[in-house]
Amino acid sequence: MQLVVRYRGKDVILEFDREKIKASDILKVLNLSKDFAFVVKNGEIVPENEEITQTDEIRVINAISGGKF
Amino acid sequence: MRRCFRCKEKAQVYLPQHRLAMCKDHYIEWFENRVERTIKEFKMFSKSDKILVAVSGGKDSLSLWQSLVKLGYNADGFYINLGIGEYSEKSFTLATEFSKKLAKTLHTISLKDEIMSIPDIKKYDNRPACSACGTVKRYYMNKFAKDNGYKIIATGHNLDDESAVLFSNTLNWNIDYLKRQYPVLPEEDGFIRKVKPLCKISEKESAMYAVLSGIEYIEEECPFSEGATSIDYKIFLSQLEEKSPGTKLRFYSEFLRKMYPLLKHLDEKPTLNRCRICGEPTTGDICSVCNLKQKLKSKIEVET
Repeated sequence: MQLVVRYRGKDVILEFDREKIKASDILKVLNLSKDFAFVVKNGEIVPENEEITQTDEIRVINAISGGKF
Repeated sequence: MRRCFRCKEKAQVYLPQHRLAMCKDHYIEWFENRVERTIKEFKMFSKSDKILVAVSGGKDSLSLWQSLVKLGYNADGFYINLGIGEYSEKSFTLATEFSKKLAKTLHTISLKDEIMSIPDIKKYDNRPACSACGTVKRYYMNKFAKDNGYKIIATGHNLDDESAVLFSNTLNWNIDYLKRQYPVLPEEDGFIRKVKPLCKISEKESAMYAVLSGIEYIEEECPFSEGATSIDYKIFLSQLEEKSPGTKLRFYSEFLRKMYPLLKHLDEKPTLNRCRICGEPTTGDICSVCNLKQKLKSKIEVET
C-alpha cells in the first residue's frame, strides 16, 4: 500500500508491504519514536494502534528540534 | 479507546509520564495550567510585568506566546530575521500572521541590518552556526528588551531542551554551566531577567498543544541545525523515556530540587564590565558580539 503523508511541510510518499496499516507503522517507516512524534488523522491526534486507510488525510508531526536561544 | 479523565469524551492525547488521557479542550486547559503552575513555582513574573517572548515561528515559542496571552499576561513578541533563505522567510510570515491573530505586537529586527545574515557569518566564522546564532540572538534580545522597557524575556525552551543540556553538562561535568541551569536567570547589571515557562513541558506536549490549538508553525528544521549534538542527546533520552515514562521529567526536576541548591552556592559571580565598544555587559573588555563583528570585519578586509 502506498500512502501520502504531510511531513515537515512536504508531501512524502510512504510504501508498505501490506494493505492494513496502523499509525505506529507510519512512525516506524519514518524511523520516529512515539515519545517525540505523533500522527494526525483527519485533523485529530490518534493513538498508535489507530487504523489508517488511503482516504485518510495524514499529517505526521516530529516534535524534535535542534538549536534555540 | 481511551477516554478523557475529566469529561469521559474520546481522548486525543495520552501522556504516559502523567498517566493522563485527555480530550482536545481539556488538554489545552491542562497545558495552560501547567505553564501557569511553572511560572508560579519558580516566581518567574506577575500579571503586571511587561514580558517579551522570543519568537522563532516554531511550535514552542508560538505555544508559549499564546498560552501567556490566554492566561492574561502582558506579552509581546520579538523576532530576529536570521536571513536563512526560505526558512527565515517562512518563519517570519508565520510569526507575523500569528501576532495578528493574537492581536499582540511583534517587534522584528533583521540580522542582515545589524551585522550580516547567518549564512554570511558562517562563511567567515569557523564555529558551528548555532554557536554564533545563539550569541547574537541573546545579545539583541537583551538589548532590545532593555531599550524598550521590557522587564522579562521568556523563551520557549522545553523539557527536552533542558534535559538534553543537563545531560550534556553532566556528561562533561561542566560545573560552570550546571550552576546556572535554572529556569530563571535573574536580572543583573545590564542583563534582563530570562525565564523558561515551558521547562516542565515536553517537546511532544508543546507540539500537541500547537496542533490542537490550530497554531500554524514552522515544521521544517533550521538547515544549520542538522547534525547538532543536542538532537543526539534528545534521541538517546527518548529511548530511555519510552522504556520508562517520566525519566526526563525526573532527571530535570530532581536536578533542580537536589543538585541545584548545592551548586548555586559555588557561584562566584564574575565581575561584569561594560563593553568598550557598545556599552553592553560583558565579563571581558569587549562583548562577544562586538568581538564577532571585529573578526568578520578583519576577515572581509583580508579577502578584498
